[in-house]
Amino acid sequence: MTLTLTVNGQEHELAVSPQTPLLNVLRNDLALNGPKYGCGLGECGACSVLIDGMAARTCVLPVSAAVGHNVITLDGLACNGQLDPVQQAFIDAQAAQCGYCLNGMIITVRALLNHNAQPSAQQIRTALEHNLCRCGTHVEILQAARLAVDLNASRLQEPLHE
Amino acid sequence: MSEGQRLRRQHHQASIPAALAHSRYGVVVRPPHYHWDGERFESDRLISVDRSSVGSLPGAIEVVVEEDFVGVVASSLALAIDAAKQLKVEWQSVRQPTNSAPDSVKFTSLKFSAVKKSPQSQASMRQQYGWPSRMHWGNSPGWVIADYRQHQLDIWGETVTPLALKHDLSRLTALPVNQIELYCLDQTHVSRQATGLGRHCGDDAAVDAALMSKAVGAPVTVWLDARYAKDKEALGQAQRMTLEADLASSGEIARYHYQQANIIGEVAAVGLWLSGKAVTAELTTEAGATEASNNNDAAPFSPYVFRDQYLASRSQSNTLSSDPTVVDIQQAFARESFLDEVARNSEQDPIALRIRHLDDARGIALIESVAKRAEWTLPLSPLSPTSAPSSSPQDLLRGRGFAYSQLPSRDQREAPGVRSAWIADVVVNRITGEVQLTRLIVGQDTGPDVDTARLQQTLQTRVLGEARPLLGQSPAFDEWGDGRNVLVPVASGAGELATRGYQPATQRVPSSFNQPASDVLTGAELSPGVAVIANALFDATGIRFRQPPFTAKRVRQALQEPTVESAGRPAKLQRPARRRWLAAAALTTMAGTVAIAWPWKGAVVPIARPAANLYSADTIERGRLVAAAGDCAACHTADNGVTNVGGRSFETPFGTLYSTNITPDEVTGIGQWSYAAFERAMRHGISRDGSHLYPAFPYTAFAKTSDTDLQALYAYLMSQPAVSSDKTVNDLAFPFSVRSLMAGWNALYHDPTPFQPDPMQSELYNRGAYLAEGLGHCSACHSPRNAMGAEKSGKNYFAGAFVDGWEAPPLNALSRAPVAWSETSLYDYLRHGESALHGVASGPMAPVVAGLAELPEYDVRAIAHYVATQMQAPTDDSEIAVARAEQRVASATLSAPGLEAGERLFDGACAACHVATGVPTFSSASTSLALNTNIHSDHPDNVIQSILSGVHADHVPGVGSMPGFSDSFSNTQVADLAMYLRARFAPDKAPWQQLEQRSADLRQPHQNNTHSTP
Repeated sequence: MTLTLTVNGQEHELAVSPQTPLLNVLRNDLALNGPKYGCGLGECGACSVLIDGMAARTCVLPVSAAVGHNVITLDGLACNGQLDPVQQAFIDAQAAQCGYCLNGMIITVRALLNHNAQPSAQQIRTALEHNLCRCGTHVEILQAARLAVDLNASRLQEPLHE
Repeated sequence: MSEGQRLRRQHHQASIPAALAHSRYGVVVRPPHYHWDGERFESDRLISVDRSSVGSLPGAIEVVVEEDFVGVVASSLALAIDAAKQLKVEWQSVRQPTNSAPDSVKFTSLKFSAVKKSPQSQASMRQQYGWPSRMHWGNSPGWVIADYRQHQLDIWGETVTPLALKHDLSRLTALPVNQIELYCLDQTHVSRQATGLGRHCGDDAAVDAALMSKAVGAPVTVWLDARYAKDKEALGQAQRMTLEADLASSGEIARYHYQQANIIGEVAAVGLWLSGKAVTAELTTEAGATEASNNNDAAPFSPYVFRDQYLASRSQSNTLSSDPTVVDIQQAFARESFLDEVARNSEQDPIALRIRHLDDARGIALIESVAKRAEWTLPLSPLSPTSAPSSSPQDLLRGRGFAYSQLPSRDQREAPGVRSAWIADVVVNRITGEVQLTRLIVGQDTGPDVDTARLQQTLQTRVLGEARPLLGQSPAFDEWGDGRNVLVPVASGAGELATRGYQPATQRVPSSFNQPASDVLTGAELSPGVAVIANALFDATGIRFRQPPFTAKRVRQALQEPTVESAGRPAKLQRPARRRWLAAAALTTMAGTVAIAWPWKGAVVPIARPAANLYSADTIERGRLVAAAGDCAACHTADNGVTNVGGRSFETPFGTLYSTNITPDEVTGIGQWSYAAFERAMRHGISRDGSHLYPAFPYTAFAKTSDTDLQALYAYLMSQPAVSSDKTVNDLAFPFSVRSLMAGWNALYHDPTPFQPDPMQSELYNRGAYLAEGLGHCSACHSPRNAMGAEKSGKNYFAGAFVDGWEAPPLNALSRAPVAWSETSLYDYLRHGESALHGVASGPMAPVVAGLAELPEYDVRAIAHYVATQMQAPTDDSEIAVARAEQRVASATLSAPGLEAGERLFDGACAACHVATGVPTFSSASTSLALNTNIHSDHPDNVIQSILSGVHADHVPGVGSMPGFSDSFSNTQVADLAMYLRARFAPDKAPWQQLEQRSADLRQPHQNNTHSTP
C-alpha cells in the first residue's frame, strides 16, 4: 500500500504502513532531520512540523493523517535561499544551548505568527507553554520569539517597498 | 382542468414549487386518542397548550390551536418537528381507550322486514365486510402545501378524491368550492388516478396545511410521511356491510339480506373533525328500503333477483358531498365477495350461481362471453415452473376470481345501467405475501372502452400494494444503495408497466359501443375490481379478505396465522409483546422438523463449494454492504490477521471464545456450507454440523435480517478467496462448554422472528431499526446482559454494558453525555467518527465506524435517526445545547484544587494536546475533555483504557490519535490522573472509587475485565 505525502512542496509516493508515526517517515524515509525525536508521547514538542500552517506533533501522528495536507518541516522553512524571520531571530538572539528543542520552538513560534502576527508577551508564553526545554535556555528563547515578531512584521512590509 | 397547468411539471415529487420557497413548515400535534367508530368521531379534549414550552427554540414558532386541533408552524421542517415534540399540551381523555372497537354495526334502529325462513332452506350464512376510511397513498413521503389568501386557497399535493377534499376545504375555510384550486406536485394528474377507491391521508395533510396556512397567513408545507398512518388507523372503517343468505337445498339462495352502515362511504379529514368544522350526521333509518324497491337514489342496489330480498342502508344528513361511485364499489365488493363465499361453501361454480339469480339476458350473455374468453375453469392447474422466475414454484400460489356488477344509471335506475364482468388471475408469493395481478379480463356492455392495462395497474397499485407493481421487489427497509431515493411515478400509464418475468395478459371483450378512452377511471370501471381480487385471493390461498387493501404485509400475516384475517378486520398493528416463553413455543414452527427442547440438531449435508461466478456482481455488491453493516470482519479477523479468517479471542464471563473462519475454505471455513446451513446459523445459531453456536456470535440480532440480504451475504462470502486457518479451541468453564445446553438458552432468550417494520414510524426509522436491531447488532454491546448472557430488553434496551474491558455507553435516556446528543451529532459521529460536541469514536467503536464508512449516507442517517429516537434526542443541536457546551468548556479551564499529583501528570502528559493555547494546532484534540461522555460516566473504564492504550486512528483516518501511557504510568499515576480528570472536567459528578485497582485489572487482558452488568 502506498500513500502520497506533500512535504516542503514536494510530493512523495511512500510504501509505508498508514499507522507509522509521521516523524519516522520524515526522518527515515525522507531524510528530513529537522524534527527531532524527544519524548515520543507528544509531550515535549521537539518533533513539531507545520501542517497547513499549524503546529503538529509528529511522533504521535500517524502518517495517514497528513495525507492530503501540506507538511513543512524546519528543513523547508527557508524560502528562496532566505531564512524564515523566525529562524533568523533565533540566530540573532543566539537562543541555543544544546539546541535539541529548537526545532519545536521555531515551528511553534512560526505557527503562532501565522495565526497572530502581533502576539503579546503573554500570548508568546502561552503558545510555548507545552514546548519543553531541558537545558535552561528559556530566557533567550523568549527574547528570540519577541525578535521574531518584529522581523516577521518587517518582512511582511518588504514587498510593499519594492 | 386547470390543475397542473400553472405549475411546470416537477421532476421530483419532493421538490417544492419555486414560488412557494418562502413557505413555512407545519407539524400537527394530534390528541393521544382520536377515533372514528363508524358513526361518530371521538377525541380527547384539549385543555391547555403551554406556548412557552417552545420558547427556547430558535426562530419564530407559531402554535395554531382551533378547538382540539393543535399545530406548530416554524421556518424549517426540522424545527417544526422539534417544536411539536417539545410543545406541552394537556388533554382530557373523554373515554378510556378501548381496543374493542364495535365489531359490528348495531342495526337495532332498523326495522327488519318480516324474515321468514323458507321451509326448504338448508343453510344460512352471515358475513360482514368493511371498507377502510383511508387507503394507502404510495410508498414515498411527499410535500403537501397550502396557500390561503383572502379569497383563494391553493393546495399542492396528492389527492385521488378531489371532490371530497374540496368539500372538506370549503367547510374548513368557508370559501366556496370554486375558489379552491388543487395542484399536483408530480406529473401524475389528479384525474388520472382512480377516484372510486376512497380517500388517502394526502387529504388529511392538505386540510392540516390549509388550516395552519389560514391561521398564520402564509403558505404552509406539511410533510406527508408515515406519521399520517396514525390517522389511517384512527379513522378505521368508513363502511361496514353485513350480508346474510339462506340457501335452499337446491343450492339456490332463498333469502338475501344486505345492510350497509352508511349512505356515504367516506369520512371527513381528521383536521376537520378536530377543529370542530365537521358535523356528525344524525342517523336516520332509510325509509322504505324493503324488498327491492329502489326508488331512492341513495338506496343500495343489486342486479340479482332473489326470492326474498332485503336491501337497507342507514342514511345520514348530507355532511359530505361524496363521490357516489365509492359507495357503488363498496356495495359491489361486499356483494360479490359474499356470493363467492356462498358459492364456495355450497360447492357451486361462482359464475353458475350468479347466472342462476340473474333475470337479465344481456348480463348473462356478457358473463358467458367473458367466461369463455378466459377459459374459466376451477380449480386452476398448478403453476408451471417456467413462469415462476423469482421464487421456487412451491412458494407461489395461483388463483382466479370472478365478479360482476351492474351499475345503476344515476338518472333512471333501470336495466340500461352499465354491466361489467371481470375475471382476474393472481399469483401470491407465500413467503413475502406479495400479490401480483397477472391477468385481467374485463367485459363491459356499454360505455367507453375499458383500458384494461391501466385498470390492472391501478388495482395493483391501490388495492394490492404500496405502489410496487412488480413482483419480487423487496420491502423498503432492506433496500440498499442510494438509488432507493428515486421516486417511482405512480400509475402514469400502461407503458410504465414493464415487467420483470411476467407479461400480464390483458384482453378485452369487444363492447357494444366504441368510444374514445377516457383518462378518468370512474367507479363504473372499477366497481367489481376489488371483489374480483378478493375472490382470486381466496382461490389462491383459502383465506377470505373482507376488507381492502390486500397489501403484502396483510397477506403475509394472514398466511402465517389465518385466524387473524377471517374476522375481516385489519390485523392489529401494535408491536407484538416480547414474551420470551411464547416466542420459544413458536420456535417449533420456525425451526421446522425438530422439536426445540431436544438439544440435538441434524447436520446439514455438506456441499461442494459454490463457484465464485455463480452470483451476479449486483448480488455480491449488496452482500458486501450487508457484511459491512454487520461488521463481520471486526470479529472474524484476528489482530494483524487475514480478513475473515477468524481466531480473534473474546473474553466472556464464561470463558474465552475464538471467532471462526468464514472464508469459503472447505476444511476450516464455510466452503461446504449450503445456503440452508448458513441461514440456520445466522437465524438460529446452529452450525452446519448441528452443534450450537454461542451467542457471542450475535445470531440473536442477525435473525432479524431479511431473506434477500442473507442470500446476498452468502453470495458475497462465498465469492471471497478461501483461506485455510488453524483451529483454535474455545476455553470455556463447565457447564458452559457443553454446546447443546444452548438449545435451552435459545428457547428462553432467542426470538428468531424476522424484522417487522413498524407502520407507525417513518421509512427512515424502519430502515434504521432494521440495520441497528439486525445486522448492526448495536444492542449486542450497548444492552446489558443478564446472568445467563442474554440481552435485557424493555427499559434496559440500549442501557449500556461492558465489552472487552470497555464500557459501551447507554444509548437511551440513561446517556451520561454532558451535552445531550442530537440526531445530527449522532450522524457526524457514526459517519465521520467524530462529533464536535462529543469527541471521537475509539476503542471497539472505532472499527464499527470504519465498517459504517462502507454504507450509503442514507443508511447511516437512518441508524442515527433510530438511535436518536431511543435517546429521545432532538433533530439538531439547539442553541441552548451549544451554549451549554461552551459554558462547560469555559468552566473547565481552571485547574481542580487539591489534586496536585494528578495536575502535574496532566500538565506534563496531556495538556499539550488537551488544553487550548489560543493557537490552532493540527494534532490537538478538537473536542474539550469537558464534553467527553467517558469522563462523565459512572464507570472510569473507558478513561483508564484510553490512558493506558491511547486512541488510535487505525480505522478512521484523520480522527484522533493519542499515544498510550501504559509503559510510562504506574497504576497509582493512572489513578491520580483519572481522579484529576474527573474533578476538573466533570465537577458535577461524584469522584470515582478504587481507580488504582481498576487500572491494574484493565492492564490484564485475560482477567476479570468484563462485567456481566454495569
